[in-house]
Amino acid sequence: MSSNIMILMLSVSTFLGALGLIALLWGLKTGQFDDQSKFIDGARYDNEEELRDAAMMEEKKKSQKEKKENYRPAD
Amino acid sequence: MAKVKCTHCNLIFDESAMIIEEVNGDICYFCCHGCQGVYHLLRNEGLDTFYAKLGGATLTPPTNVPRDDLERFDLDGFRKKYVKIHHDGSNEINLIIEGIHCSACVWLNEKVLHKTDGIIEATINYTNNKAKIIWDNETIGLSQIIQTIRSIGYDAFPYDPALQEERATKTRRDYYARILVAVFGMMNIMWIAVAQYAGYFTGIEQRFKDILNVAEFVLATPVLFYSGSVFFRGAYYGYKNRIVNMDTLVATGATLAYIYSIYAMISKHGEVYFDSVVMIITFVLVGKYLEVLSKKHAVDTLDLLTSTIPTEVMVVHNGIKSLVAVENIAIGDIIEVRAGEKIVIDGIITDGAGSFDESSLTGESIPLYKQEGDAILSGSICLDSVIRYRATKDASNSLLHSIVTLLEESVTKKPKIEQLANSISGYFSVVILTIAIATFIGWYLYDNNFEKALIISISVIVIACPCALGLATPMSTLVGISVAAKRGILFKEATFLENMAKSTMVAIDKTGTITEGKPSVVNAITHQEFDYNLLYSLVISSNHPISQGIKIFLEEQNNNLHELKLKEMQTLQAKGIMAKYDTHSIAGGNDAFMKELGIKTTLSSKHSLFFFAIDGVLVASFELSDKLRIGAKEALLTLKSLGLKVVMLTGDHALSANAIAKEAGIDNVYHSLLPQDKAKLIDDFHAKGERVIMVGDGINDSIALAKADIAIAMGSGADIAINVSDVVLLDEKPQKIAEAYRISKRTYQAIKENLSFSIVYNIIAVPLAVMGFVYPLVSALSMSLSSLIVVGNSIRIKRIKFNKGNKNE
Repeated sequence: MSSNIMILMLSVSTFLGALGLIALLWGLKTGQFDDQSKFIDGARYDNEEELRDAAMMEEKKKSQKEKKENYRPAD
Repeated sequence: MAKVKCTHCNLIFDESAMIIEEVNGDICYFCCHGCQGVYHLLRNEGLDTFYAKLGGATLTPPTNVPRDDLERFDLDGFRKKYVKIHHDGSNEINLIIEGIHCSACVWLNEKVLHKTDGIIEATINYTNNKAKIIWDNETIGLSQIIQTIRSIGYDAFPYDPALQEERATKTRRDYYARILVAVFGMMNIMWIAVAQYAGYFTGIEQRFKDILNVAEFVLATPVLFYSGSVFFRGAYYGYKNRIVNMDTLVATGATLAYIYSIYAMISKHGEVYFDSVVMIITFVLVGKYLEVLSKKHAVDTLDLLTSTIPTEVMVVHNGIKSLVAVENIAIGDIIEVRAGEKIVIDGIITDGAGSFDESSLTGESIPLYKQEGDAILSGSICLDSVIRYRATKDASNSLLHSIVTLLEESVTKKPKIEQLANSISGYFSVVILTIAIATFIGWYLYDNNFEKALIISISVIVIACPCALGLATPMSTLVGISVAAKRGILFKEATFLENMAKSTMVAIDKTGTITEGKPSVVNAITHQEFDYNLLYSLVISSNHPISQGIKIFLEEQNNNLHELKLKEMQTLQAKGIMAKYDTHSIAGGNDAFMKELGIKTTLSSKHSLFFFAIDGVLVASFELSDKLRIGAKEALLTLKSLGLKVVMLTGDHALSANAIAKEAGIDNVYHSLLPQDKAKLIDDFHAKGERVIMVGDGINDSIALAKADIAIAMGSGADIAINVSDVVLLDEKPQKIAEAYRISKRTYQAIKENLSFSIVYNIIAVPLAVMGFVYPLVSALSMSLSSLIVVGNSIRIKRIKFNKGNKNE
């Protein structure tokens, strides 16, 4: 067995594992695991309507931001 | 009569009692107008898919009681206290939503809030029912948001997350991330280590070994410096305070093993110990994480208490009512209190009379009747009438406020004896570090070979087994905690097991702790035969503890009780209840009430009495008293036999306190105590050199609980009491107090065994290492072996036996 193959196997598997770990850490940081029950129920309420709802909230946030930016010069 | 489900709340009622309505061809049943209103609202909003999501779960029907407290949400004092204003001008508030039963409720609330104009973000946590709402104050007011939540049948209370919650959530997340990294590193290093060990015994080429070493190094580095940084921080604070603690040992042990391994990796001879590095970090970290987890849980309950304290009171000035912030109340102001409201300012009643629930002050559940000229204390709740009273103290001097302040103080100043617990391992690590340095100097002077001296001195530390010593305490306490948890005893922190084992005294609250906290019938006399259904129908109409006691008694005695339709029901404060049935007039109440009605009673007792009369003739008498919990006496005996002093602290008066104490076999009784008095007594015990375990359940015990070395709370007790406690008894059996103490004793014994084992082991191994006789094989084997022995010894705690009767558990 060549040592190169061993290096390759070790590094590839560690790298793949690390990717999973990073994804998990990202999920944790963005608060996706804060509420276990909701996390589990998430799949039940996942449909087109929810997507529209989320899009609507994004829209609201954006318009709020714009409003504030336009408002600023006045004061 | 057919029973049908309410279309909205899914609760089942008689069909005859329902509101029947046809909506789009479907027949809907509603139990009340509240449910009907919400149903139509949801339909109009297009949210009726809620019912499909709800499935079979039931809801609390919305109350139709109009609440006129909405204006207070827009007051400046309120906004200042709860609303956070972001730099972009949006407002943020944290609310606790009441009435959430299932995930469909969460969905509905979020949906409705999302649809509301001006709300930018709304997230609700299902686990603790807490909501975070961000909104634009120019478009919508907070009162409108609360109104929206109420309109769909829920209610919302603000709370201040800055208290502790945010911090607790953050630490929890932080620890979770660290553990993920540590476990990832450990699992991967383990399978590489398998190859290493196999190679060690069967022969491995150095070039393969190098690759494995480097791979382990790559994995161990983030574990040590990221996951392990908590130990470095702990060690640094310890160093600043001149304390050698557990963290110092873990940090030095892991770092030195790490450095040695790097040296072995580069110099290409000797074994690496990266697996030991990650193992010790991971195990000790998981132990710490479990503590953080239980703390977070406690914080969630604390917010409930503070959120119920009113921020404004109704002041009557020259006949004009206005809401004034509590801080602005001056002595002499006239305050109006309505039924159900909590008193926040001490005072004297000037107008009106009513019952007051003082259970949060004295622990007694029986309401007190107060009239003009009587003093009322903050913290009590007005139960049934509108009264006006004159403030005799301002907010900051009132009892409720001083309790809260005292509580905050005592929580932060809680006596710490955990440093003591770590002192053995602390001294030990100092000794080992000194020996290692001495070894290095000795070998260097003797041999004049820097490299050899360094390796030997490091091997001294490595063989001194940071694993066994590092695991000695956490392993035992982990097993101890899990054994306790299985028996319904929750220790919030591992160190509390040690503290408890060192206690010398137990102080026990009476009501709700060793007694059941509600009166039950101890003696019943029937003077004449009568229809028990009459009495039953009368007592179920009242929430007074005495009535409840009679009700439970009747239900135990008779099987087929049913409610009769009584007319002209009248409740007379602190006296009794009267009603009419057909042509008969019936009355139930105390001695004074019977006298008033001209009925002669013969019974007199130190307990509470309840008489029942039909048409002016006495037919039955009941004697009620608070009963000892089952097993309380045995539990106290066990505690005594284990060498603890037992005292009772109670807010109740001398007579009933002594009676209960005699029954329970307690010799030292302190009675008629206010919350501060209990706390002062704990201080007195401390001054006498006692280490005190306090057991309690109410708000009135909370300061004393916070002051005690170990506080035990009953699981059904007040949230605040549970929060300040170190140990929570879930099923409230007094035996559990004794069990908790025994588990802590057993755990402490295991800790001592583990420590002495690792010390004996070190006494043998360290000299060998100092002399330079340590072979890689010996150190690798002894290291794992000593850790295994410590783990095995700790698991033996599980074999602790408890009293008979618990065998099937």
